Amino acid sequence: MEKIRILIAKPGLDGHDRGALVIAQAMRDHGMEVIYTGLRQSPVQIATAAIQEDVDIIGLSSLSGAHNTLFPKVIEELEKRNAGDIPVIAGGVIPNEDIPFLLEKGIKRIFTSGSSTEEMARYIKGLLRPDELATPPKKIAHIGIAVHKIEDALPFYTDGLGLVVESIEEVESEGVKIAFLKVGETRIELLEPLYESSPIQGFLDKKGEGIHHIAFEVDDIHPRITQLKHKGVKLINEEPKSGAHQSEIAFIHPKSTHGVLVELCQQAKGSEE
Amino acid sequence: MEKPANEKAKWEAQVEKTLKRFPERKENFHTSSTIPVERLYGTEEENYELGFPGEFPYLRGIQPTMYRSRLWTMRQYAGFGSATETNKRFRYLLDQGQTGLSVAFDLPTQIGYDSDDVMSEGEVGKVGVAIDTLADMERLLDEIPLDKVSTSMTINAPAAVLLCMYIAVGEKQGVPSEKLTGTIQNDILKEYIARGTYIFPPKPSMRLITNIFEYCQKNLPKFNTISISGYHIREAGSNAVQEVAFTLANGMAYVEAAMESGLDVDSFAPRLAFFFNAHNNFFEEIAKFRAARRIWAKIMKERYNAKDPKSWKLRFHTQTGGSTLTAQQPDNNIVRVTMQALAAVLGGTQSLHTNSRDEALALPTEDSARIALRTQQIIAHESGVADTVDPLGGSYYVEALTDEIEEQVMKYIERIQKYGGAVQAIEEGYMQREIHQNAYETQKRIENGEEIIVGLNKFKLEEELNPELLKVDEALGKEQIENLEQVRSERNQSDVNRHLQELRNQAKDPNANLIPYILEAVRNYASIGEICNVLRKEFGEYTGS
Repeated sequence: MEKIRILIAKPGLDGHDRGALVIAQAMRDHGMEVIYTGLRQSPVQIATAAIQEDVDIIGLSSLSGAHNTLFPKVIEELEKRNAGDIPVIAGGVIPNEDIPFLLEKGIKRIFTSGSSTEEMARYIKGLLRPDELATPPKKIAHIGIAVHKIEDALPFYTDGLGLVVESIEEVESEGVKIAFLKVGETRIELLEPLYESSPIQGFLDKKGEGIHHIAFEVDDIHPRITQLKHKGVKLINEEPKSGAHQSEIAFIHPKSTHGVLVELCQQAKGSEE
Repeated sequence: MEKPANEKAKWEAQVEKTLKRFPERKENFHTSSTIPVERLYGTEEENYELGFPGEFPYLRGIQPTMYRSRLWTMRQYAGFGSATETNKRFRYLLDQGQTGLSVAFDLPTQIGYDSDDVMSEGEVGKVGVAIDTLADMERLLDEIPLDKVSTSMTINAPAAVLLCMYIAVGEKQGVPSEKLTGTIQNDILKEYIARGTYIFPPKPSMRLITNIFEYCQKNLPKFNTISISGYHIREAGSNAVQEVAFTLANGMAYVEAAMESGLDVDSFAPRLAFFFNAHNNFFEEIAKFRAARRIWAKIMKERYNAKDPKSWKLRFHTQTGGSTLTAQQPDNNIVRVTMQALAAVLGGTQSLHTNSRDEALALPTEDSARIALRTQQIIAHESGVADTVDPLGGSYYVEALTDEIEEQVMKYIERIQKYGGAVQAIEEGYMQREIHQNAYETQKRIENGEEIIVGLNKFKLEEELNPELLKVDEALGKEQIENLEQVRSERNQSDVNRHLQELRNQAKDPNANLIPYILEAVRNYASIGEICNVLRKEFGEYTGS
């Protein structure tokens, strides 16, 4: 597969290029070919450079408040040159309230202050190389086991196997009480229904006690889900939702996994285990 | 060297003389428990080793009594939109007792483009006030007495043009240029390194700066002709040592350029000012300011043989670190700014700007700007840190850090000298590479959680609050262009052409001082874009390294 070519551009008169330079180097470290325009580029210059350099994607950076004027102009100039299919992403000092306008004008995504370069690289790869699997799951994060009563199930795992209970939590919104037991790098989760309508109760009614799901830890949950969707995999969550400790999680339907409910989970960056 | 006895008594006697002219704020200073607070602490030995405040090498401060006599100047950088709008804000600030102004210009003004230039699209009035001609400057300073108010202008490549506009407004108010006080940033070298608002290549830029030094020495003796800035170098990603090293190296380049043009070092050095950043690592920042002072004093005295003690003193403005602010949980920034401001005060700053909590998102709202000013006022009036000189002097940690920073800075300065000085080092991209490398390493440490930023990579909120932000009126650009068209239609065009032609002729002669010619053009309402275009044609444009 050819390297992704990205044009990093500074439209307007803004001289703050710390972000642009850091991103240029980070994308290079992620294996992309980076072309940096330098400061003070007009929308016409940026569109022309993108076409001449035959790039796959354009990243715009502005910190001077001119984004609402200049970013849409870049899209216009690309369209005028029949290059409207080159995706444009952007970042800088951009208030949240301006984002819907910019997305409507055709910017694919805005990375605001505090975004990570990892996240951006994953987004770009997911967008341009949807069939290329980035990195395989790092480990099995946990195995969920549905039980009628945690207190009845625990003795086997603690006294019988000698595992130690890390914590027991109730997650009211999911209708479940969870006991965590650490096993090396992974965990056993004992899941007890909190009320009749709990999905765990539904599972118990249908199948009885047993393995409920397996969770794989990944670091590219967004592009991965997009990719699975393209491949026709049946997803329970088409967008990641938030899990415990600011993690992001998504479930894949057992119909697509040959009978096992699979969870993908991504830990928050810099978060403690 | 033999240790003279009774140094402190000698110093105190000297201070008594100064006190007659500059009395302290209170007769007696004491703590909340009525413990008396002395002017200066330290044993005879420590005083000998560190030196006294107000004396070479000024480690403990440039004045003998520091904030016991006069608090630092609280100078908040402001400006956006039109000259009329900014003038209103200035007059409000002056009514509140502020004695100095600090003008933020928009990017077209800073890069010498008129508001109707195609390059200015989307940028007019955004990050500061838009100035095209003297008419805008007249509106900006309307009813502000220039003989009483000092004005700091963040203007670099076209500093000469804005300075001339300021002189011309003074003339119209009946204030002679000798009485004008203030500062122009006028520091082009850091624009190439870190800030980006350059116009011309280094050589003609250095000429313009030297022209200003020379002109001001004769005509504006009370004006600070340059503010040599580490602030933006730090914002671009350098660490504390690099900030001081690159700033002082740039300072040395200006001194050498002026001396080469035939100026005596003591004729311009007392008007050089500095501008530093204050970041989060509390003690390192304090040590940084102290080290910078000692290094500069030694450089000026020993390397350039300056004789006037005023040439040895590093006077500086400080601004808290913009890049340390987070867009996430913006109220946390108030706490960061407080620590940074405290470090600047403990480091002996002459003036201070405290950032507003919402600056990672937009220009500050009025509420945010007020909290930022109050932060300084609380430090000044409630904390007691201003009651004794250099309260951390003699601390094992701070003195060790100060010595270490000085040593590392000197290594950098020697390396830059090997390149042939700051200008060559910049042209070869040396400082830019060092800064970028540090910026990238910092980003990586933040992303892998090695460096913790509260609210960003730890202690995050599930859902961020959306604070109210300031919006600049989009109609302003059009209005500014209409004003400019009106000025062009009302002025005497043949006078303008004549003065621009004269400026062009003088620019060809490398020995001519251009300031009087720029002043004539400005007086006749030539625009900043017209003047800079003349010089662009003669000098060429810098296109990055």
